[in-house]
Amino acid sequence: MFSIHTTEQLLKAIALACAFLSVLIGIWYIVRRPHLNRVTKSMLLLGLGAFPLIVSLTGNIASFEYTLSRPFCGSCHVMGPYLRDAEDPKSNSLAAMHSRNHKFGENSCYTCHADYEMFGAITTKQNGMKHLFKYVTEYASTGPDGEGGPPIHLYKPFRSAACMQCHSATAKTWVATHADSAEAIRSGEMNCIDCHNDIHPLALSRRPTAGKGAAP
Amino acid sequence: MAKKMVLFSVIGTIVAMIFMASSIVYPHPMLLVLAMSIGQGIAIFALVLYLLAVALDLQSSGGVYIAGEETPAIEEPPPAGGSGTPST
Repeated sequence: MFSIHTTEQLLKAIALACAFLSVLIGIWYIVRRPHLNRVTKSMLLLGLGAFPLIVSLTGNIASFEYTLSRPFCGSCHVMGPYLRDAEDPKSNSLAAMHSRNHKFGENSCYTCHADYEMFGAITTKQNGMKHLFKYVTEYASTGPDGEGGPPIHLYKPFRSAACMQCHSATAKTWVATHADSAEAIRSGEMNCIDCHNDIHPLALSRRPTAGKGAAP
Repeated sequence: MAKKMVLFSVIGTIVAMIFMASSIVYPHPMLLVLAMSIGQGIAIFALVLYLLAVALDLQSSGGVYIAGEETPAIEEPPPAGGSGTPST
């Protein structure tokens, strides 16, 4: 039975209910073809104005929230290897360990790969559109895991700021273990992933039998 | 004319609602993008078409005489004999 546990599910339920009512009013008009009196105009204003507006508002919010989730990122076939590793309970890669975090694990891809400046949410969404364009133009006819397509890579170097959201670069224990490179990491000269680089072990480029077009 | 516009508006809204509902039920990236752009565009166009139809309908029915609401004619006072204001 359909149950609602989250805000996203509630918004989706409201959007679907309003869409259904709007279609119902539309079908009523098409079948009955009533005169355009006050009652008909009011019903049509609900069915063509109010309900679609609610569908748009709630549906957009719910959909934007869903686009942050790992299953959404993994719904393109080229992301299959990344998704399989992230969801593997036995994997010890960075992606898998962070995906098991109960706070943000379901949004692990977005949490690490989003831009975090002032308009970061907008630029991240723009990058998402870029992903979709490249997927349709370059990866649509590639193999089950993206074999035969160009190597998948970040558009810009990964920034340690994403790690430092949670992992402090000033805590005593961190400073003790990173004594030699603390300043370099804080200044951006060095990246966390320069050393902590077991992130996506199943990526095509990392497999021993990488296919044509794999990244170096 | 207004009725045809309303019919097109209703059909457009139904198509848009099916588009948007399917993107909610099955949120594949391509479907989501199409629903948020084309789907919402169709819905906005349908609403504008409907409002235009209502405006046209109101305009065309604006001159209709409605019996029973006519204000009573103002009766002119009988001309006063030799006195009173001259009638214009």
